[in-house]
Amino acid sequence: MEILWFGALALLVAGYFALEGFDLGVGLLLPVTADRDRAIGAVGPFVLANEVWLIAAAGVLFGAFPACEYALSANYTAVVLLLVSWVVRDAGLWFRRRLFTRAFWEWLITLGSLGVCLAWGLLLAGLAGFSFPFGLLYGLLIAALFVMHGRRFLDWRLTGVGTPLVTGALAAVPALVPLAGMAGAVIGNAAPSATLTVLTFMVLPFVPVMAGAQIWVWKAFGKGPVPAYF
Amino acid sequence: MDVLDLARLQFAVTGSLHFLFVVLTLGLAPLVAIMHTRYARTGTTLDERMTRFWGQIYVTNYALGIVTGIVMEFQFGLSWSGLTHYAGDVFGAPLALETLIAFFLESTFLGLWIFGWHRLPKWLHVATIWLVTITAYASAFWIMVANSFLQHPAGAVRDGDVLRLDDFGALLTNPSLSMALPHVLSAGLTVGGFVVMGASAYHLFRKTSDQELFSRSLRMGIWTAFVGTMMVVGFGFAQFGPVTSVQPDKFTDRPLAALGLGFMILLGHLLQLIALLLVVVVKWAPRWRFLHPLIVLVTPLPFVAAILGWIAREEGRQPWMIWERLKVADALTPGLTQAQITLSFAGFVGVLTLLAVADYVLISRIVRRGPDEIALGEKPAPAPALTF
Repeated sequence: MEILWFGALALLVAGYFALEGFDLGVGLLLPVTADRDRAIGAVGPFVLANEVWLIAAAGVLFGAFPACEYALSANYTAVVLLLVSWVVRDAGLWFRRRLFTRAFWEWLITLGSLGVCLAWGLLLAGLAGFSFPFGLLYGLLIAALFVMHGRRFLDWRLTGVGTPLVTGALAAVPALVPLAGMAGAVIGNAAPSATLTVLTFMVLPFVPVMAGAQIWVWKAFGKGPVPAYF
Repeated sequence: MDVLDLARLQFAVTGSLHFLFVVLTLGLAPLVAIMHTRYARTGTTLDERMTRFWGQIYVTNYALGIVTGIVMEFQFGLSWSGLTHYAGDVFGAPLALETLIAFFLESTFLGLWIFGWHRLPKWLHVATIWLVTITAYASAFWIMVANSFLQHPAGAVRDGDVLRLDDFGALLTNPSLSMALPHVLSAGLTVGGFVVMGASAYHLFRKTSDQELFSRSLRMGIWTAFVGTMMVVGFGFAQFGPVTSVQPDKFTDRPLAALGLGFMILLGHLLQLIALLLVVVVKWAPRWRFLHPLIVLVTPLPFVAAILGWIAREEGRQPWMIWERLKVADALTPGLTQAQITLSFAGFVGVLTLLAVADYVLISRIVRRGPDEIALGEKPAPAPALTF
């Protein structure tokens, strides 16, 4: 059961990197994007469905592996950077068409996206015991992969050319490598089986609904005109 | 202020900000769902404009609910790892369930609703807003389960120096939960009702176009506020029995909790009286202009009452993190430094406060401009030539 829940955690984190990766990549690309309305419109309908993978991953961490939560406080600065950047990026999307000037919020989207990437580098490197400069480099690597992924996504969504599948898989690698390295330690720190049984019993019936809702998003917004809400 | 004070204040401020937006979400979601259902049935322009106008306010409010919520979840890991260490095997379960079987779906369905205009089949689109409403309520349920565990650690047994889950059912039938959950949900309806009333009264008073839309909205708001206040007061008083059975001295010797409670009850009765008087004259209220400025004026009061309610509940728990088991001071992350907590305090409280102000500016602008300028559900412009 511990292995099953570690699988769920790994899937959610990897899914977050593969999905939110293109949102962040498009955010990073904004300063060099000519038609920013269309680029943001392309990712817009996916953002809410993508970012929630990390919230769910944190839920699994708290519920199934509470003893591993020290990973957050042990990397305090990186987690604060991650959250503040995430909040700023989201605010940029919600407010861009509505308050002050678009350029102001577009810069915040880019800055927020960059902050999230760097924070992930610092956090993942910190967990593996690497130094701060290495963490920054790792963050830049993540940002580079996300930029590639964002480009592929825009090509696919706006012109129907190619597929973001390959870059999506690549984008998940920076998360999967440290996760695989920590698998033993995480599984060894799982909650007792009574807790895991309750969680499994409660969540299992909803897995098809969760998967169905995510697939529905892709079916509904994968093609057709680009919506203009964000 | 020392590290503990800052960590507590950070949680209190971000939590209060979060709830200001959440409580309106809980109240508006079912109203928007009802409006959308009506629009799907009748197909009239009036119903469409009504759904999109209130839907836009709902969605704008929701944005801050999400970003403040993100920060809430992670704060447990950042500042309060002592809580996880001591009771994570129990307390983590409802939090995990909230994220997986409630919020994950809520966020996904909300995206489908916002972007699904002119794209999803009519009734499936209506289904998404109902699913958002149901999952929002489910979310409130699991969060209240987690909070009630802090008030009264039911369903857990001590095992060495930590708590272990013993009886999941007892977690769900916690006396601290049974009346508090409907109390919180009806607080949502109260806030939703008063906001709908307030914005409608503004437009009726100003004699803007859309008199029919806002007459109808005002009546809907009055009925919602009536049901909400009756239930919120009823369940509020009904809480005293079960709550004091497990926390006998919750409101004695805790001046701040008692103060919060006293003023909340006062406001609750005032709002109840207002809603009761309005429901008597609901037929004429849209035409009685003298009423409208008064209605606008009382709009902030249910928000104040909601925050006072949380102050009563959480201050009444002090100095315990988990009632008579774990002190707040012992739940603080060991080794948390002044520099760290100052950094997160500045980041979270500073950024979220600015964004909350910006969001309220935006909401009041949407209200002021009225149903003519609503981005939500706008007909898409004809597709331009591919330029990317």
